[in-house]
Amino acid sequence: MIRKNYRLGFLVLMVFAFLALNAQQRFPKPEFESGYEQPNTTTPEPRTAGMEVFDVIVLFGVMALATWLILKKRSRRGVLWLSVFTLLYFGFYRNGCICPIGSIQNVTLALFDPGYKISITVLLFFLLPLVFALFYGRTFCAAACPLGAIQDLVVIRPISVSSWVRKTLSFIPHIYIGLAILFAATGTDFIICRYDPFVGIFRTDGPYLMIGLGIAFLVLGMFFARPYCRVFCPYSVLLGFMSHFSKKHITITPSECINCKLCANSCPFDAIEAPIDEKVRTESTVRKNLRNYVIFGLLVPVWIFAGGFAVSKAHVFLSKAHPDVYLSELLIAQPELREDTENLDIQAFLESGKSMDQLVEEASVIRSKFRTGGWYLGGYLGLVLGIMLMNQFVLRKRKDYIPHKRDCFSCGRCMDYCPVGEQSGDRKSGIVKAKQ
Amino acid sequence: MQISGIFTLVVAALLLINFVQLKKYEPLESQTLNTLVAQLEEDPRNEQLKEEIRDFDMMVRKAYFTSTWQVRTGALLMLIGGVLFAGSLKVYTDLRRRIGVPDTAKEDFLKARMTAWKWLLATGILVLGMAFFAAFSSTNYLENYYPEAIAGTGPSTMDETIEVIEIVDPADTSASGALAGAIQDTATGEPGQDTGADDSAQAGDGQTTAAQQAVPVEKIHGLAEFKKHHNSFRGPMALGVSYHKNIPTSWDGGAGTNVAWKVAISKPGYNSPVIWGDKLFLAGADEEARIVSCYDRHSGQLLWEKKADNIPGSPSTMPKVTDDTGLSAPTAVVDGYRVYAIFATGDVIAFDFEGNRVWARNLGVPQNHYGHSSSLLVWNGKVIVQYDTGKSGRMLALDTKTGASVWDISRDNHISWASPILVDYAGKIQVVTNTDPTVGGYDVETGEEIWKVDVMMGEVGPSCAYADGLVYANNEYASLVAINPEPGAAVQWESYDYLSEAASPVAYNGLLYLATSYGVLVCYDAKAGEQVWEMDFGTTLYSSPMVVDGKLYIMGNDGVMHIVKADRSGTLIGEPVLGEPSYAIPAFAGGKIYIRGSESLYCIGE
Repeated sequence: MIRKNYRLGFLVLMVFAFLALNAQQRFPKPEFESGYEQPNTTTPEPRTAGMEVFDVIVLFGVMALATWLILKKRSRRGVLWLSVFTLLYFGFYRNGCICPIGSIQNVTLALFDPGYKISITVLLFFLLPLVFALFYGRTFCAAACPLGAIQDLVVIRPISVSSWVRKTLSFIPHIYIGLAILFAATGTDFIICRYDPFVGIFRTDGPYLMIGLGIAFLVLGMFFARPYCRVFCPYSVLLGFMSHFSKKHITITPSECINCKLCANSCPFDAIEAPIDEKVRTESTVRKNLRNYVIFGLLVPVWIFAGGFAVSKAHVFLSKAHPDVYLSELLIAQPELREDTENLDIQAFLESGKSMDQLVEEASVIRSKFRTGGWYLGGYLGLVLGIMLMNQFVLRKRKDYIPHKRDCFSCGRCMDYCPVGEQSGDRKSGIVKAKQ
Repeated sequence: MQISGIFTLVVAALLLINFVQLKKYEPLESQTLNTLVAQLEEDPRNEQLKEEIRDFDMMVRKAYFTSTWQVRTGALLMLIGGVLFAGSLKVYTDLRRRIGVPDTAKEDFLKARMTAWKWLLATGILVLGMAFFAAFSSTNYLENYYPEAIAGTGPSTMDETIEVIEIVDPADTSASGALAGAIQDTATGEPGQDTGADDSAQAGDGQTTAAQQAVPVEKIHGLAEFKKHHNSFRGPMALGVSYHKNIPTSWDGGAGTNVAWKVAISKPGYNSPVIWGDKLFLAGADEEARIVSCYDRHSGQLLWEKKADNIPGSPSTMPKVTDDTGLSAPTAVVDGYRVYAIFATGDVIAFDFEGNRVWARNLGVPQNHYGHSSSLLVWNGKVIVQYDTGKSGRMLALDTKTGASVWDISRDNHISWASPILVDYAGKIQVVTNTDPTVGGYDVETGEEIWKVDVMMGEVGPSCAYADGLVYANNEYASLVAINPEPGAAVQWESYDYLSEAASPVAYNGLLYLATSYGVLVCYDAKAGEQVWEMDFGTTLYSSPMVVDGKLYIMGNDGVMHIVKADRSGTLIGEPVLGEPSYAIPAFAGGKIYIRGSESLYCIGE
């Protein structure tokens, strides 16, 4: 075990050292005394179609292998090495782009803007993880996501977080994906990519703030495992939803659980659900919970309306993120900036031949879209909140320790803790395997 | 592990320091460099300065790129240190890992659920609250868009930005063609002379003849009529001379001695009161609003107060101005029909005497680091605007009825805070301005340059003075000059001993009076330029001196009025106290003085 960790640490170190040595300054330090010449700016060639297909094949292969390693091989070590490969390939080699998380925005924009086309590879990047999650759980998160991989590798001393904290924080990804879809649908911005905390590390370049944020996430991730995945990842909303219906999800035990409780604290993500004691499910408790369930269920439409109303009201604020709205408001509020030759946005607009009337009209249309979108976004958030509140009063029978299908990343750590062996033949009782 | 951790922390700290330094070394933000470049603009042939700029520029850039390199290298080192630390920590924790034990500390399931729904509820309410806050704290600027104001892609023309509202007086709304003709007729009268028209038609007594109602005519008032009032900054034609008599020489504002009335001013401003007939006008502005106020000058009663708002092209946020200039430094002007005011936003607005808005337009927010302060003038149906900003030198004349540009000229001079004056010379009325570097005269009817002398420098604040065929101009750190205002103009005499920073000189009866900001009032022989006397008041003098009734009145910033005989004797008549600071120029009418204090408006004289 120790030797394994040494090897892993050494490998990661070497990768970073290699990248560091090969990282060039984009703008070499000028030597004013020696006739330094400014290098010509070059634009990198787009990736060829063949290589894009290759990326899809790699993604499919990694997820297929991860699924096999989790469900058949039950090998945590295999999943670990596969995630290292993902980190190197999709992270450092492909610079974290394209990734299924960001593809949400491409798909959304393609749906709302007829002039925007996405390639089949982008669509596959978006769909494949969801399809796998629908059948096998979040195996994408286990080993095929570079953002998950880099966080997973730094999990050192995870602490357990109370369930109410986790449940409260789990509302954030819904806000994030809602905003990301609204912004993408209105052609405002791809905020998931813009605020990807790890892309700067993958590229060993980027704004200091974003690189700092990525490092902060990694430091935090040593103790609060996979913070980005658990608190922010917008794709986790879709993956969790799909995984909820998966038939062949990872299991802690290969056969019947013996309730030894050894696995209870094995998950660094607190994604293992403990059995519900029958003593808890008393008749009065069940009745009380049912009553609350119904009350909160009746309140769901109220939440939907309130959310829609509130967010649609905030459409003025939200739409300011759109460059056209921002520019038009800037020129209305400060018309003297037309003369500011250093404001490139304004100068580009003035040189475009577009009139102020056109700009304001377009901005008004965009703002109107935000108002409509605000209703949908707010309504969705209200619905999610309403359902989450209702779920707090659901008391299902549960007698085994099982992974939470929506929250489990299928990393396989819990499997290592289970002393139960494979069930063979028609023997009904599990065989306790010898743990090393 | 400890070594890698400390290493990472140290590198992180050094990075942070370096990052701050990097911001400081931003070449384009270097104040020293910008100052040197500004100096070079004033002295473009200074080769030594050029070399100095080159050397400093290289030094700043070197520092910047070195810091950039250090930051990037440091970031990589920190990354490596961080990975090392994480790896070491992982090994350390694995070595200390204990054998797994069955879960003992079990969370109270039902209690956790109860807490969870409460927090979820709180989160939902928080999100709703944030959405509402965002909704109500955001301004929808698109709703403030006036297509006629800023339509088009090129620089907006002034005519597009005028908002004209019909004058309420029905007599003024008919037969614009005939009206224009009438104006044209009257404008051909001798400059500097009143047209002799009866201004009862606009005085509001309602006793207009049938003919006047059929063909309403706005009589153009000249100097003779202006002399009866106090219609502009520094009196008629802005020359610093008032023609009223029996002006008080003693009062005590604090005790109320010889104070007819005193009213609080609603909005601040460094502008001075102007008077026409029974009405006194003031402007004021703060971050919330820009206003023009009209008072009954006999009783001090506020007759109306109107906002200058919803003006096409007007900025929604106020331009940055300094406290000693403010948003309403220029004095309004009045022509017997309307009052015209300009603000630091570039908004020019006209109200009729009843407070009805006649027209308004924005001239483009002036690029002015203190705040726009040039006051308006009015002559022959035109409002004269000196609009020298950091962007360009400019002067324009606006039609008093519509606000449309009659003429609009660009000038090759720098920003100026001085105000124009009107000079009647050789049968022509000139607009004379004081700027860096030009002191010049322009035809009031066309805006054409008649003469100019490049003699001034620095941040020009004082306006010019004129009397007996000579224009006087000065500025602190420059010089005091006397110029003959005609083609081929030249400096007749110059002096460097006393120069004013803000107060404008006044020429009267063969003498020239000049007040320095450090409190010295100096009298020169206007023809010869020789000093006649000087008087040190030991106070700050920003307000300009006014000559009235043979006496010179100059208000100190401390609210003490210094009254001196306007002759060669230099006799101090009195130093009455207002009781509060004052920076404005007093207005005179009907044997009374109207003084704007920092808080109140005073009418002096029983």
